[in-house]
Amino acid sequence: MAASSRGSRAVRGIFSSSPTICSRCATTRFYSAAAATETKASVTDAAPPPASTKTPYPYDIRSGLVLTRPPLLTRTLHPFENAYYFYQKRLEERLNTPFITSIYFKPDTAAQLDWSLKVQERGGTVAKELGTYHGKSSKAWDDELKVGDQLSSQESVLNSLLKDAAARVSDDAEVIAPEDVVPVERPAERLSEADKKNDVRRLDRQMERTLYLVVKGPDGWGFPADVLKDENLHEGAKRVMDQAAGVNMNTWLVGRVPVAHVVQEPVLGKDGEVQKMGQKTFFIKGRIMAGQADLKGNPFGYTDFKWLTREELEKELAPEYFRGVRNMMADR
Amino acid sequence: MASSTSITGLFSRLSLLSRNTTTATMKTATTTPTPRLFSTTSSFLARKAPPPASGGSAPKAARRNRQAPKSENFFRIRTLRRNMFSPAPPPLRMARLRYLRHWTIHRAWQLFRRKQHEAIDKERSRMHAGMYNACEELRKTVGPGSRGEGYLYRVAMEKKGVYGLEGVPIEYARFQTDSPAKEAWNHEWKR
Repeated sequence: MAASSRGSRAVRGIFSSSPTICSRCATTRFYSAAAATETKASVTDAAPPPASTKTPYPYDIRSGLVLTRPPLLTRTLHPFENAYYFYQKRLEERLNTPFITSIYFKPDTAAQLDWSLKVQERGGTVAKELGTYHGKSSKAWDDELKVGDQLSSQESVLNSLLKDAAARVSDDAEVIAPEDVVPVERPAERLSEADKKNDVRRLDRQMERTLYLVVKGPDGWGFPADVLKDENLHEGAKRVMDQAAGVNMNTWLVGRVPVAHVVQEPVLGKDGEVQKMGQKTFFIKGRIMAGQADLKGNPFGYTDFKWLTREELEKELAPEYFRGVRNMMADR
Repeated sequence: MASSTSITGLFSRLSLLSRNTTTATMKTATTTPTPRLFSTTSSFLARKAPPPASGGSAPKAARRNRQAPKSENFFRIRTLRRNMFSPAPPPLRMARLRYLRHWTIHRAWQLFRRKQHEAIDKERSRMHAGMYNACEELRKTVGPGSRGEGYLYRVAMEKKGVYGLEGVPIEYARFQTDSPAKEAWNHEWKR
């Protein structure tokens, strides 16, 4: 056959809508859309399938947005991880070739003096964060820490690196007096002001976790969502975000595929007429990179917003609502 | 008849060919009396044979080399050359109990890594299942307004503009760090 038979199949689909013919032969299906519902309808056989008899679809389709702030900080390492890395570094001290100063420092320079001064203070250990330990000496076997020794913690590693980073010899190759040594600026704390005050509206809280934007509407807390108005899901999500939380956020919708859905079943009368419309809410995932939500003048009646982690959301959201959206949330 | 002539002609050609080749090889053998070499690349052939070891020309050349000016990297190279061949440290030796402790640490680490990997696997399959279920529900949804069943699903599956240079904003390529920035979050960002 030279020509494709797709057209004839399409025409057949339009003309024949009798339930005796199997749906695969009768209709053109995109992505096997009709299969599940039509088979269900033919099994019950009480009411004709809703799509074919043009009864109104008993669901409102809503598009929502789960706006997330990705973690800003790396995760806190488990104490076992710290201890293991420290152990491996000391084993490495036993196994490496000796550090040759003349390769890295020119003789009689300020850098060389600075380095030798620091190494002397460390008791001759080249590594900065391993305490006094010589991998090549006769005491090399003594490479284990005692129980409760804090030397392997992140804090002590940071302190030893900071101590090493401060310049001890001036550019004129003169040793700086200990009271004149300018300490290196400490990096900012991982626990922010917003964490200490538990300010759930700030975005710099819980910086090693993902935060989710929830808003307080007429039906309690939830993600911003609205009924679709002849638009696609991602367009609807974009509109909801701009209308509800303002445009002053640098955001990115990760894809067009919904990541979660919440279904509210319709209330049907005895003869099948719809008494109360159901709701199908599909959530698109978004990421925020800068800015802050602003609910001023939003048309949905949202009164408050929060940036919450997964555990806090579990307490805040209704249980069935949380069950719908919890799968899209990362562990961290 | 024709076939027989063709066959004989072919044979004669063959014999001619073989005669030609044999003469050619004979000629080359006679013209190059040097013994066969392992490598016949042009650079190798261009190389001269070493002079007989009787003359005093070779030590002279060496002395000339020694008097050549030192390169700017001479001292660096000397330091590297002196230290390049430092003896390798001995392998780790551990007593029995120490080795048992080492083994225990190793096993504990393997177990720890295993649990981490399993947690990551579980998280990913959970997120994928969430997306899958949402898409399945979307596929069975009669679209907004007069749109048919599965319309929204088809649009959601489209990949137009998802990939490419404009696909992911550059601000999203921010690494996670050990400590936050001085201003951890820009709350005042305006479009």
